[in-house]
Amino acid sequence: MENWHKRILLGAAIATAGVFVTGVSVAQDSDAQQVISPDIERREISRPAIDTEDFELGGYVGLLSIQDFDSEVVYGVRGAWHITEDFFFEASYGSSEGDLTSYEELSGGAPLFDDADRDYSFYNLGVGWNALPGEIYILDKYALKSDLYLFAGAGSTDFLDDSWFTVTVGAGYRLLLNDWISWRLDVRDHIFDRDVFGADETTNNIEVSTGITFFF
Amino acid sequence: MKQQAPQQQMKTGALKVAPVMLCLLFLLAPSSRPAHAEDDVLHSEVVEPYIEMRTQPGRGYPVFYIAERGESVQLLKQRTDWVKVRNRLGIEGWVHVNEVGRTVDEFGEELAFKAPDLESFTHRKWEMGFMLGDYDSTDALTGYLGWHFTRNLSAELAFTENFGEFSDGRMVTASIVHQMFPDARYSPFLSIGGGVRQTNPRSTLVETEDRTDNTASVGAGIRIHLTKRLMLRLQYKHYVVMTDRDDDEEVDEWKIGISAFF
Repeated sequence: MENWHKRILLGAAIATAGVFVTGVSVAQDSDAQQVISPDIERREISRPAIDTEDFELGGYVGLLSIQDFDSEVVYGVRGAWHITEDFFFEASYGSSEGDLTSYEELSGGAPLFDDADRDYSFYNLGVGWNALPGEIYILDKYALKSDLYLFAGAGSTDFLDDSWFTVTVGAGYRLLLNDWISWRLDVRDHIFDRDVFGADETTNNIEVSTGITFFF
Repeated sequence: MKQQAPQQQMKTGALKVAPVMLCLLFLLAPSSRPAHAEDDVLHSEVVEPYIEMRTQPGRGYPVFYIAERGESVQLLKQRTDWVKVRNRLGIEGWVHVNEVGRTVDEFGEELAFKAPDLESFTHRKWEMGFMLGDYDSTDALTGYLGWHFTRNLSAELAFTENFGEFSDGRMVTASIVHQMFPDARYSPFLSIGGGVRQTNPRSTLVETEDRTDNTASVGAGIRIHLTKRLMLRLQYKHYVVMTDRDDDEEVDEWKIGISAFF
């Protein structure tokens, strides 16, 4: 009876050990088999280099109406980075020259400012929003992209021997003559506080300009 | 004192051209991307049921042609999120980058095209933007360019102009910026930097000389990814302006700005 008992227990122990050992050896076998793995080369996926044309650069010419002074010709350069189809960052630099003030012209007395101080130059950085994108049609053949955009920015104006913090707001129209040449019309108001005549006054200096820009 | 004058003048001159240089930097920095030669046009095959071609690069423009599955298109150029393609019949139109990203190359691999998103934000290499704010209780304006040389560290070059009641100033600052959590949409940062500041007293005041001083600064702030390439940036900086007088000037600066990355 005792022997029979022992035999069963021994048998079970041997069977368990046997299963365990086979299990391990099977696991080792499968490890060994995996050494021969399919020989697949991994390819690096990179973004194909195609020409991106998100930048716009060009020049413009226009009229600048300097408050208390005359309206004068203004020249400038302008560059934009189109971030999305809706928004672009834009930097502009322009220069002009203030003539005599109305008072100086009427009184005929000695001029109030040196000629060198009448140089008017400004820069601004801002964001444009293509509020009304569109397409215009010329004859049967041509469909040109256009954008009516709003612009708001800030910058500096150098005038009358001082620099002034200037806020610039405006609207413009861009017509793409082909994929990369555009014709632009801009109206902008450069607003800054000036105290050259004693008291602080807010001046509005309206600039109307037209220009050609190139996308690259 | 007189011997220092030419150097002073040079610094002043450098500060005067700084805004122009920065503008140029703004415009020229990313133009180094390679333009592709005409004969090296990239072809792609449509594997989705179709892709939509629009007349112009914009979501509002009409779809005038549909390139079907199996059709091959040439990728000509990209503007913002739109890629200009041409099919074998010579029909040209604009396809959204995400749709181009679902077409395949000659190996059957999807093209790595997609609109910039949060993931691109966390792996950005360059960023630039501008900020408005308050420098020592005066209006201030900053334009900057940053280059991320590791995921946590970036080098930044900033031009700041401020406009006070008694003086205005221009400042060029170079900084090292550390962001602790590069994967976060709200990504805080610390910065340390140095630079040069030129202060010009207002012409309406009694005649005083312009002066040029060195500055050191520490700062902290946060960049927030808004959408696509755009991000909002808020920052505080504390400047020490090392003047010739007995005491250095200590200045607080608060700024808010908008930037974009590429």
